[in-house]
Amino acid sequence: MLQVSGLVKRFGGIVAVNDVSVKIDRGEVVGLIGPNGSGKTTLINLVSGFYKPDSGRIVFEGIDITKKDPDERVKLGIARTFQIPRLISNMTALQNVTYAVVGSRRFKEKKMTLTEAVMEALYYLDIVGLLRKRDVLCRDLPLYELRLLELARALATNPKLIMVDEVMAGLNPVEADNVAKLVQRLREEFKLTIIWVEHVLRIIMRSVERVLVMNEGKIIADGTPREVSKDFTVIRAYMGEEVVA
Amino acid sequence: MVIKVEPRRGRLIIHLLGKWRFEWTVEPRYWRNPLIAVILWICLPLLVLLMPRGLPIGPTALLTSLFMANVVAISAIAHSLQTIGTGRLNFGPHFFVVVGGYAAALLNKNYGLSPALTFLAAFAVAALVGLALSPLTIISRGIYFTLITMILPLILYELVFWRVDIFGAETGIPGISRLVSTGDVMSDYFISFYVSLAATLAILFVVDKVLRSRWGLMFGVINEDEDVAASFGIEIKKIKVAVFTLTCGVMGISGWLIAHYYGSFAGTMWLEPWLLIFILLSGVLGGKATIYGAALGSYFVVLTRDLLRPFVGGAALLALYAVLLAALYLLPEGLWGVYRKTRYREYVPTIRVRRRA
Repeated sequence: MLQVSGLVKRFGGIVAVNDVSVKIDRGEVVGLIGPNGSGKTTLINLVSGFYKPDSGRIVFEGIDITKKDPDERVKLGIARTFQIPRLISNMTALQNVTYAVVGSRRFKEKKMTLTEAVMEALYYLDIVGLLRKRDVLCRDLPLYELRLLELARALATNPKLIMVDEVMAGLNPVEADNVAKLVQRLREEFKLTIIWVEHVLRIIMRSVERVLVMNEGKIIADGTPREVSKDFTVIRAYMGEEVVA
Repeated sequence: MVIKVEPRRGRLIIHLLGKWRFEWTVEPRYWRNPLIAVILWICLPLLVLLMPRGLPIGPTALLTSLFMANVVAISAIAHSLQTIGTGRLNFGPHFFVVVGGYAAALLNKNYGLSPALTFLAAFAVAALVGLALSPLTIISRGIYFTLITMILPLILYELVFWRVDIFGAETGIPGISRLVSTGDVMSDYFISFYVSLAATLAILFVVDKVLRSRWGLMFGVINEDEDVAASFGIEIKKIKVAVFTLTCGVMGISGWLIAHYYGSFAGTMWLEPWLLIFILLSGVLGGKATIYGAALGSYFVVLTRDLLRPFVGGAALLALYAVLLAALYLLPEGLWGVYRKTRYREYVPTIRVRRRA
């Protein structure tokens, strides 16, 4: 479904993503982990079109999307959430999901009206459990609900691949478990492929089938959670040389 | 009976010709009918007829002020829409006004095009110039965009003096057909006002419809965070180019009105900063990025200047700026904000949807 080859992104002298090549198949849930500053979010930004790579190629469902704008990638079926929720704070929860429906490929294909888009947005809000908060301004929502709203907004674009960026950051253990269950449910209901960037290893290790580990812009390990957790290079990346010794 | 009014508790039911039925809630905070505002607006010049003699401002001067308020309103409404739809603050709206004015003046004088045709031409030429400059909305943002657009009027100013043979420099282009010419001066003033009002209302109506549609929702997202807009499938480049182009065309209509109202057009006068300040302040004073506020603000700005002139003479602009500064300080949400505070139901943004017939 998604094939990334030789991807490089530099910010001045820093190589944030260094020759990354990854292949992700349809229906997979892939965890993307790594220490702070390892390049996880940059990779997400490159795939979603937020950043343009310095070199390398991104192919999604057989289409080269390396030079495509973010809005074109969304219409092909790539959606994302943000590490720090980026919702329009002056708009209500319903409006925040509605514009995502309006921007989706389906809105054009089905020649939907704004009313139909609103109806569809209500459906996505209901799925994440925010229907009763539909008329609340985003600036008045707590972090947990903002995370859920981000998921609803991503779903509203009718995605095939969804990239979830640290959806549990700042949540308490109960909320984090709820979000993890929701992501799993969405995957089954909508037949999604998921790239899940996360720091909460306890949850990611039991929720995904495959884990990619990044460090200093490179993929240092790729395997099942059990394999990766025993990998020497991964332990060294997280704990440092002294602990390993 | 043609009209039958049936009073009920808290509302009036108006039956028209036995066919149509209108319901009007009496309590002011529930008034939703923009028809009231339009009727008041249409009746505004009738004040001129009721003016007692001996006032420091004459009826023709007042009608000219009302006409100018409409001219500024058209540009201010277009400018507000442009700010919302592109997320950029254009500091050269008067450049597009003058482009439209010169297009109308030159085509009318040199090729004999009627005001009706120059109307289309002024819109088209200003829109084409807008289209040529529209990539700026994609490649520059923030202060850079503002600075670039600020330079545009200065370039045109130099061009006007360089090609005196075409633009006539300070003298301008005289001998342009008048907007209306009935032979009666007062009638001409009245009709000119109503032509400008018709243009203002038409633009306000179209902009209102656009902002209430899915486009308005997308403009709102672009205005708040265009990265988010792009991340959720909104075609920001196409939208920004279209909005910039069309709103520049609308600003050109202001120039068309000026050229045909005065019968001559000297761009140098309209390229001066005061027109920019009038357009910007109309938007800000009316209420940031509200189109109705922009119209209200235009009337406030133009009428304040013209009504102050008989009392303070040459210091009218200075007095106006003092009044405007005080107004901006005292009304941070603008004139429209004062109105909206009385209508709590509208204070939280809502999506207005219309069912299919």
